[in-house]
Amino acid sequence: MAPAAPRPQLALPLQVAGLALLLLAAVVLGTGLGSVTVPPAEVLGALWRGLAGQELAGNDVIVWQIRLPRVVMGLLVGAGLGVCGGAFQGVFRNPLADPYLLGVASGGALGATAMIVGGGPRPLIPAAALLGALAAVSVTLLLAREGRRLPPTRLVLAGVVVGSVLSALSTALLLRGEDRAREVLAYTLGDLGFSGWREVAAVLPYVFVGAGALLLLARALDTLQLGELTARSLGVPVERLRLLVIGAASVATAGAVAYVGIIGFVGLLVPHVVRLAFGAGHRTLLPLSALLGGTLVVLADLLARTTPLSQVGIVTTLLGGPFFLWLLRRTRD
Amino acid sequence: MNRTLTLTTALCAALSVTAGATTYPLTLTDDLGRKVTLKAEPRRIVSMLPSTSETLCALGVCDRLVGVDDYSDYPAYVTTLPKMGGLYNPNVEAIVARKPDLVLVSKYGKLEGPLTQAGITVLAVNPETYDEVFSKTLILGKIVNREAQAKALVTSMKREIAKVEILTKTAVKKPTAYYEIDPTPYSIGPNSFMGTLLTKAGARNIIPASMGDFPKVDPEFIVKQNPQLILGVDAGTVAARPGWNTITALKTGKVMDIPQELNTLLGRPGPRLPQALRGLAKLIHPELFK
Repeated sequence: MAPAAPRPQLALPLQVAGLALLLLAAVVLGTGLGSVTVPPAEVLGALWRGLAGQELAGNDVIVWQIRLPRVVMGLLVGAGLGVCGGAFQGVFRNPLADPYLLGVASGGALGATAMIVGGGPRPLIPAAALLGALAAVSVTLLLAREGRRLPPTRLVLAGVVVGSVLSALSTALLLRGEDRAREVLAYTLGDLGFSGWREVAAVLPYVFVGAGALLLLARALDTLQLGELTARSLGVPVERLRLLVIGAASVATAGAVAYVGIIGFVGLLVPHVVRLAFGAGHRTLLPLSALLGGTLVVLADLLARTTPLSQVGIVTTLLGGPFFLWLLRRTRD
Repeated sequence: MNRTLTLTTALCAALSVTAGATTYPLTLTDDLGRKVTLKAEPRRIVSMLPSTSETLCALGVCDRLVGVDDYSDYPAYVTTLPKMGGLYNPNVEAIVARKPDLVLVSKYGKLEGPLTQAGITVLAVNPETYDEVFSKTLILGKIVNREAQAKALVTSMKREIAKVEILTKTAVKKPTAYYEIDPTPYSIGPNSFMGTLLTKAGARNIIPASMGDFPKVDPEFIVKQNPQLILGVDAGTVAARPGWNTITALKTGKVMDIPQELNTLLGRPGPRLPQALRGLAKLIHPELFK
């Protein structure tokens, strides 16, 4: 990736404030609108009654127990995928890298599919997905290893192949359990339905640890953009950095995949938009990607809930794909 | 009730040997919109839909079946027949090897192409709505030259259904109900075949027709509608869903999973429709079936 051409830039605090406002707007919209419209005053009332531990009834339940956790989950997952995408594109120096690249998504899908088709208990589905995702990344890393080195091309190739093989296995399983097909499909299209506070609490540590670690690695990622050799000569342990980024991003992504399934395009799209609008430095890119990723998923889920598109992953892909292409054409010099 | 059904069918068959015999060649338009001609009365039939297998047997031509799909399991006789695969993985070679003179398929499979090329007559007969259960029974009757039996079967099915409806009409309270067919969650609209059964069983479906026949529903919509009865999912699962513990059905213990056997019946738009309805009505209004 070539360093971005210098462009007039707003000061960082202003950028952050702008995107944070956008996110806040998304959260307010996402909490107020849905198949039941709740006026803003009632939303605030419900929030207050929930925080104060008062008895909830009617719309309060919808706002506090169903919609708000769903919005927070979207925010968490979107932020996680956005940061992971930015870090992946940086560490592989490949603009097409996304958090699902190393087989994370396929591994998660296989774990979930096996559990769903096998008729296992529902609470174990996320655990199976998580296990599948982490196992897939481990296999990819083992296959791509060259002595102690992890060359990016080999990593990407190994990831793509591992992903394909695992997807084939998932499909084979799916065909054997036809009557569960809809449930598996819902998972592979990404779904925030039934995200409650318990689920939010389960995903939070993964995203917090994973994305947090990536934010700390931003400076090293910037150095890596100067080229592997230069980075090495500047004292960046390139191999260890690569492993750290992959590990942290896999933890965050696997946690997200485990609970909400596979939400496409966020990790690929969001960092690009941020890079084009605000520049390519990772210390800006990663936090802004978190803000924009969260906003995107919250809004996409709002659309999913209120239109027949019905699932967040469908919306992100339908909106993200064309937008990405438009962006590509517009920025081609 | 089953015996009554068989008896009635047999009786009608005896009375109407001469009446309304099908004349071949018979040309009809199937559910794939193709014009198909049957040169003679089919004697070796492969049925690739469980409901079709059941209907053929109810029409008294079980012995003409030479193969069925993997899911056909009623009446017991069909489980002894060679299995020909499912909707997504049909075994074309096995079907051809049985030398059938007619294969009855679902309109969703892809069997029609290869079988037609192999010179085998293929017909798609696919009951989906409530009314189609009866119209397709009559069509199948025509196809196998059992028109009178088909009419008798439809009459007896409608009579059995009416018996249940008379009962549920007397119900003092018809609970508002949410029927879950899939935990993602999907439900049934009032115009779907299962939705019709739910209404006839004495419940008020909370899903409006505008949402479609098998809509994916937003969980908060269910909470807002606050149904008095939840079917198709167990209480533990419902209680674990965010916000669902406030739903009346859960508070009053009116959350019921559908027993496996009844669930199979409800998914079979065939001759056991009255039994499916009775089972569902019993679940919703146990007080009426004492």
